[in-house]
Amino acid sequence: MLRRKLFRTMGRYKAQFISMVIMVALGMGVFLGFQMEWYTLDRTSAQTYEATGFADFRVLSDALFTREELEAVAAIPGVTDAARFLKVNVAVKGDADLLGLSVTSNPKVSGIYVTSGEAYDPEAKGFWLSDQYAAKNGVRLGDELSLIYAAPFGTVELTAPVLGLAKASEYMICLQDGTQIMPDYNSYGFVYTSPAMLEEAVGMELYTQLNLISELSKEEIVPLIDQALGRTSLVLSKDEVVSWSETQGEINEGVTMGSILPVLFLAIAILTMVTTMHRITASEKTQIGLLKSLGFTDRRILRHYSAYGLAIGIAGSVLGVGIGYLLAWYIMNPDGAMGTYVDLIDWTLYVPGFCWIVLAGVIAFLTLISFLSVKSMLRGSAADALRPYSPKRIRASALEKTGFWKRMRFSGRWNLRDSLRHKSRTGMTLFGIVGCMILLVGALGMNDTARSFVTVFYDEATAYESKLNLSADENGNEAALALAEEREGDWAAVSSVQVGDAPVGLEIYHVPHGLIHFIAKDMSEVTLAPEGVYICDRIARDNGLAPGDKIRFSPYGSSESYEATVQGILRSLSESVILSDEAADRIGIPYTVNTVYTRQTGIEAGGIISSVQSKQSILDSFDKFMELMNAMIFLLAVAAVVLGLVVLYNLGVMSYTERYREMATLKVVGFRDRQIGRILIGQNLWLTVLGVLIGLPAGVGVLKYLLTALASEYEMKLTLGPLTYGISIVLTFGVSLLVGWMIARKTRSIDMVEALKGVD
Amino acid sequence: MSEILNFNDVSRVYTAGDHELRALDHIDLSLPAGKFIVVLGPSGAGKSTLLNLIGGLDSPTEGRITVDGRDISKLSNDQLAEYRAQTVGFVFQNYNLIPTLTVYENVALVREIVKNALPAEEMLAAVSLADHLKNFPAELSGGEQQRVSIARALAKNPKILLCDEPTGALDSETGVVVLKLLLKMARERGKTIVIVTHNQNIAKMADVIVRVKSGHIRSMETQEHPLSAEEVEW
Repeated sequence: MLRRKLFRTMGRYKAQFISMVIMVALGMGVFLGFQMEWYTLDRTSAQTYEATGFADFRVLSDALFTREELEAVAAIPGVTDAARFLKVNVAVKGDADLLGLSVTSNPKVSGIYVTSGEAYDPEAKGFWLSDQYAAKNGVRLGDELSLIYAAPFGTVELTAPVLGLAKASEYMICLQDGTQIMPDYNSYGFVYTSPAMLEEAVGMELYTQLNLISELSKEEIVPLIDQALGRTSLVLSKDEVVSWSETQGEINEGVTMGSILPVLFLAIAILTMVTTMHRITASEKTQIGLLKSLGFTDRRILRHYSAYGLAIGIAGSVLGVGIGYLLAWYIMNPDGAMGTYVDLIDWTLYVPGFCWIVLAGVIAFLTLISFLSVKSMLRGSAADALRPYSPKRIRASALEKTGFWKRMRFSGRWNLRDSLRHKSRTGMTLFGIVGCMILLVGALGMNDTARSFVTVFYDEATAYESKLNLSADENGNEAALALAEEREGDWAAVSSVQVGDAPVGLEIYHVPHGLIHFIAKDMSEVTLAPEGVYICDRIARDNGLAPGDKIRFSPYGSSESYEATVQGILRSLSESVILSDEAADRIGIPYTVNTVYTRQTGIEAGGIISSVQSKQSILDSFDKFMELMNAMIFLLAVAAVVLGLVVLYNLGVMSYTERYREMATLKVVGFRDRQIGRILIGQNLWLTVLGVLIGLPAGVGVLKYLLTALASEYEMKLTLGPLTYGISIVLTFGVSLLVGWMIARKTRSIDMVEALKGVD
Repeated sequence: MSEILNFNDVSRVYTAGDHELRALDHIDLSLPAGKFIVVLGPSGAGKSTLLNLIGGLDSPTEGRITVDGRDISKLSNDQLAEYRAQTVGFVFQNYNLIPTLTVYENVALVREIVKNALPAEEMLAAVSLADHLKNFPAELSGGEQQRVSIARALAKNPKILLCDEPTGALDSETGVVVLKLLLKMARERGKTIVIVTHNQNIAKMADVIVRVKSGHIRSMETQEHPLSAEEVEW
């Protein structure tokens, strides 16, 4: 019989029960979704690394590596496997596209995973092309591909059919260079060919890297490699390679995100549950007392009412698991947000084991909330339990002594006292509004910040149309400087140096045409001084450097080191030390010009130009980035609105139920439905004003934290446009008004006779 | 004697599924203005329904009700609200005060809906509660709360005061005080008071006694010499 009561009571409080189920489902769904996102990426990226033999270390050299050198390195104890490797950018003939061309002497190291076509064959004459690039550019198996490789010794053309389509962990995040932040398979992909074909095309074994698989640390392996090769080499661990570091970054971001948003949602869900269950059991108090007086044991009654929490927990969790999978799938699928960034072999979704423990914990906690709510109602004798629950007596607050209070109308006083009398309900409403506001400001602010980032770094900081990447020239910088002159361009010499133990870029610029602008931390433009160096914010932070300090850096693979004064701190996409060519000359740093920037367009690769990148192609990759961003913003905005709607509606219904008699009294006295409705909306609006006032700075704070935690590598400046404030406020008020209106409509159905029959 | 209230073949039927309950069954009734009227009847007789119909809390299923010459049977929700605001005042057994408003505010709130509402301080002084303006209802005794409720009803300056078992929740001593107050206020201000009760003693004070049973008016009698509250043996 009690089971019937269980279902009927649920029916009676259906708005509250449905809200609680939705809140739990949302809380669990968002929690599970975010945990699944990073965990799936962790597992599937590991599978991809494993399947394609992702190298732990890369030994780089200007000279080519010989078979003997490979054997010497492979013989180092602790090195499991090794390969000679080539990775260069080549141009697609008759097209502006570029491809990363790779060849491995050992397919078990830095190899490929063939998704269709022929298996990899080290003797075959053909290509294994990125399946993503092939799909975007309509390349099919068997199609002939011609690639132009501007090698230091001359231009080489490689022509062969596409034998297979593949994925490769070396290109798991397929970026052309540091200026590109999102893969764009429309214009850049990768291609592998066999050692045999490369040798035939260039007439020699052309390997510029040794890739090793080893569990040794970098500190352990570097001296061993230097010893094996008999010279100092530049060794990059996988942490210094985009395909690893960025993926790990994504995983860490997932963990961070997973500890903010879901916690917010779960906290709101649980607090809503605490408030709502207490209210429901309070209004059920006489029934609880009745059951007790009829002879039901406390244990039986507790079991009965605990079942509400259990039912809500189970229903919410089942729905939450569905939402979690949906959310995780939305992010983690080949065509979804993560699919546009990371190229994985498998996209199966995985749930971390601890999530099931959390799920069980939440169900148990919700049951406990019900249990405790009823336990407090069961205190004392049956007669005590039979007495209706009465909220705390109202007392005049300090505010009532002010002139403001005296000027306040009855509706304002009524609402304010009601809010103060039901503090937990008021607090939860406020919490819901603040949460809604934080999510909206965070989501839209992220969009503003990213847009401003693109504008600053690409629209304002660069005035070039084409970026020409040059191959190394045996005759020094002569040809490069001549090219810059001919193309009316500015030039840069970019190389790698070490600051402390960290590898960073060294960028030397000569910008007579002003095609590259340098942006200071305060967003003002900086002209590079003829002496000293500039550093990016990350280097400044990591090394505790400020303008006027000395910085020491040494080129990779060299025993030389240089000291220079920090002139200033710049915003930079890459982690770099930046200086003018004059400053480089004064310090005595040798450099090789390897990039020319020009306003001219239509330039093709050839000669010393190894590849050409148009500014548009970089901007296109940003469109991808913004698409990803917009998808996240959409999700967050929907979450914010749903959160606001559910929390406010639940609490609104609760408030309506609790004030039912009072509203019936007002109706009897002669108040119209509209007037009563306006009072209810008024309470919501006041709380919304307060919630917005708290939520705005809180949202900015959360965004600031997210930018530091998730995107410090981009050195974004927190930017919030007036539209963001406007939309956030309007949407939050919109949600509040909508809920207020929905609740206010209920006043029409107040049954005055029925409501006023009861006992006070 | 002018009539303030007319019921013309009025029925109120409640339905729940197939079940039909006739709370009032084709009743005709005319009540005089400015009198103290007591409606008597056992539980379920239909007396509260009668009061609710007069008060515009409910509408008849059939028939016509006119109050002070105005047909209220077919009024819209808003018109009924306006009617309740301007024409009638309610006093309930359970007081129905708003717990989050002070005594003064509970009475003054009628200013929100009635332009010519009487001053709350004056009304509360009239019910001897001038010293309790800042108290909240929960800080008052039952009798005091009922006096606030009367002050609130009268502050609208209504033509009719409707009271549903106004002494039902009070001890007899306090009940007498409340009844005396009601009578005094009504007489001084020329109000029509309709009290619904099952307490036969209250009927001894009435100018007009209406007896209701099973949804029908059983009798209506006028008392030439009603007793005062002190004369009634409680």
